[in-house]
Amino acid sequence: MRTFNKRTTRAIVVALAAGSLALTGCSSNDGGSKGESKAKTQDEAKKQQKPVQYADAAASNGPAAPVKGAKAGGTIKAYSETDLTHMDPGQIYVSDAGLWANLVHRGLTNFQEDADGNLTVVGDLATDSGKSSDDGKTWTYTLKEGLEDENGNPINSADVRHTIERQYAEFIFDGPTYLQTWLSGADYRKDLPDGGFKKKHLPDSVLETPDDKTIIFHFEKPQLDVPQMLTMPGYALVPEETDTKEKYDKKPVATGPYKIAEFKPGKSLKLVRNDKWKAESDPVRNAYPDAWEFEIGITGPTQTQRLIADQGDDKNAIQFTGSVDAPQIPKVVRDKKLRSRTVEGYQPYVWQLNFNLDRVKNKKVRDAITIGINAEAVLALDGGSYAGDPAPNYFAPTLPGYKADYDPYGRLKNPKGDVAKAKELLKDVPAEDKKIVYAYRNNELGQKQKATIESSLTSLGLDVVAKEVEAASFYEQIGKVDNPYDVYMTGWGQDWPSPSTVVTPVYDPSQLQDGSPNYSHIRDEKVQQLIDKALGQKPEEAAATWQEAHEYLLEEINPGAPLYYTKQLQLFGSNIGGARYSVESSYINVNDLFLKS
Amino acid sequence: MFKFILRRSMGAVITLFLIGTVTFFLFLSGPSDYASLACGKDCSPARIESIRHAMGLDLPLFQQWWDFMSGIVMGRDFPTGHCSAPCLGVSYSSNELVWDTVVDRMPLTLSLTVGGLVVFLFIGLAAGMIAAYKKGTAVDKFATGASTVLSSFQIYLLGPLALLLFVWSTGWFENPKYYPFLENPFLWLAGLWIPILVMSTIFTAQYTRMARSELVQQLQEEHVRTARAKGMSKKYVFFRYAWRGSLIPILTVIGIDISSLLSGGVVTELTFSLHGLGRLAVDGATTKDLPLTMGVMLVSAFFILICNMVTDILYAYVDPRIRLS
Repeated sequence: MRTFNKRTTRAIVVALAAGSLALTGCSSNDGGSKGESKAKTQDEAKKQQKPVQYADAAASNGPAAPVKGAKAGGTIKAYSETDLTHMDPGQIYVSDAGLWANLVHRGLTNFQEDADGNLTVVGDLATDSGKSSDDGKTWTYTLKEGLEDENGNPINSADVRHTIERQYAEFIFDGPTYLQTWLSGADYRKDLPDGGFKKKHLPDSVLETPDDKTIIFHFEKPQLDVPQMLTMPGYALVPEETDTKEKYDKKPVATGPYKIAEFKPGKSLKLVRNDKWKAESDPVRNAYPDAWEFEIGITGPTQTQRLIADQGDDKNAIQFTGSVDAPQIPKVVRDKKLRSRTVEGYQPYVWQLNFNLDRVKNKKVRDAITIGINAEAVLALDGGSYAGDPAPNYFAPTLPGYKADYDPYGRLKNPKGDVAKAKELLKDVPAEDKKIVYAYRNNELGQKQKATIESSLTSLGLDVVAKEVEAASFYEQIGKVDNPYDVYMTGWGQDWPSPSTVVTPVYDPSQLQDGSPNYSHIRDEKVQQLIDKALGQKPEEAAATWQEAHEYLLEEINPGAPLYYTKQLQLFGSNIGGARYSVESSYINVNDLFLKS
Repeated sequence: MFKFILRRSMGAVITLFLIGTVTFFLFLSGPSDYASLACGKDCSPARIESIRHAMGLDLPLFQQWWDFMSGIVMGRDFPTGHCSAPCLGVSYSSNELVWDTVVDRMPLTLSLTVGGLVVFLFIGLAAGMIAAYKKGTAVDKFATGASTVLSSFQIYLLGPLALLLFVWSTGWFENPKYYPFLENPFLWLAGLWIPILVMSTIFTAQYTRMARSELVQQLQEEHVRTARAKGMSKKYVFFRYAWRGSLIPILTVIGIDISSLLSGGVVTELTFSLHGLGRLAVDGATTKDLPLTMGVMLVSAFFILICNMVTDILYAYVDPRIRLS
């Protein structure tokens, strides 16, 4: 779950919010509020760490549990600073588009979240969360009765097959790759280069649809996270008959409670009710409003101003995925009325300063940077204490297995960095190893980070050479295995509540290739063994293996200095009901929102 | 007149052709790899090559240029479908036809321009005329002083203040929004009066000062003094001689201002969260979206050329000494 969009947005917000550092992280009058905020978000984080339950058929029936006092009707306005990256489910991976997808698209499974934040995987289009056999190598799903897309076409197993197979086509390049990789290996595209469009399909030994309602996945290895993996919006249904390939990204066909009425890129998006959606088939979405109007291009400060003012239509508005503008946070958190119109919680992202292990080979240098870097100053650039906490390790507070006090490099004790200790470590390091080429994004946040990180590393006695990289292609540039940089900032968050979605994509040596998120270029055999071992274990056994891998990575290899976890604080209008923080999406819970009047 | 328009039109076409060509080669000669920029998460070298091919960036530069320029006249085919003339290409970032996007954003820009023009011409020129007519009086001093103060205000300061006063604090009005004029003129005005007024403030002040200064200068001209000496009334001489004489420099500035407003009042649009050509131009430049940038630039250049031509025609009407030839 990369964070390009979110970070881009925040970069702009931070840029506009000159002085945010003083108003958030360093203010002396908001200690109480900050403490309260931290307690609240840590409570949310505990909910997010809870093991996910898998539901049976009974729990997968609709309608969703009603929200007390909720009523249907009206139009909710959603403010967004940037456009959606994609609307074709196959292309959706980032969380911004994922939240939107929940309104329009449905997949085989979905997360159901109760009022206490407990997560259960339920059948969405499927009758249940899935039936496994053969030690988790085979998973069987059955479609619910009477499902239709927005055109009134019945949804059948061929549509699900098509949804999976089109992910093998070249034109799908931005979505998740878990399922394809599990079914056909890392080089999955060669198994079905036409994506099933030319009537050549995956063999029944891989994907089987014995009748109109049944879908059977056959994996080479046990895959115990299949129900959670299939909740990803990237695997939501694309009806075969109406798939327009590349064009589908502009006008997808809805299977969820809303369909697209009008879309003007970079400007607006209107969703209206999809009358083919049946509430009794859907255990997750209440879909109370009749319509959603997205206003795109509303900057973070303007969103915050409008929602603070709470006038006219803004009473019916929410920040869709944006956060409260950093300089306005103190005003929001100190005013009880405003505070009552916020949701907040931890997000799954951990930001770290990655080391390119092909170039920064001296572990003393990596350790010194990890110990000495001023993480608090870097966090302040992103909004300060309301926007995150210093991170002592690679597991976010939202991840099962998170240990708040696992801090091998003393980040919590010294969030500003232990410069003396770092210098001591670097004392005997040869001068050539002290030269560090630091790549940064040429956007507002990247440039601010450059100044802070360059200054922090220089203070340790390192010879820093900062290299600017185009923001839009930053991940592509640092994703090259043969890149010319030593250190670079990256962020990663879980795709579902399992360390497998963090350790595997980011640290798996077998996935190291150009474009893969193994940005540190880990090639360690033990890491590989631990990952393979954990992936083949049941969740309770795997937890210990993931933790072992985590500790081995951080202490023995140190592929990146963990800097900070991110948090979310969002405002909504006074006429919005049912608002709460979703531990699943890490944003406001869109499934339960309604208009009070 | 017909010959003049024909000649200027041909000149405009050549100018647009040159602008398009220069912009195209300047953009593509930059260091950015557009296929990489457009590439997503699964960004393997093969994937980048595939995108490069889909964008037509693997073709020789001259071919790319020709495809773009000929597409404006004849239309083009893209993997996502046919693009009818005038085809300005497909946006790298949104995959939408640039022409469609420009057409969608144009009404807002036109609304701000026309609305602003009406306000700053009526108020600004009237205030300048009154100040000149009453030169040296308290009215003149007030108009001159106020215009000096107002011309130092900027949209990014006045805009949020106006929003705070009229929308966010009091709730008297809704946030600025564009409604099509032809569908409901009242809603159109209700949605845009704040940005129009804010945007016009600086222009109004500038036109007040300019009109006053031109008129004062004209009133000191010999032919004006002669007219007065002949017994013509002050009012008659003011409008018949002085005002007419001051119109040429004012017309010149109006032409420039209209064309710059049509090419996008970007600060106004960003301040009031509106979507016009100005914001589109910024989006195109910041996302390195060549077709979008080219499209906005060509459309803006077109308007600038049209405005220049209309201004030249108006010169002849205002001052018969000016021959169109």
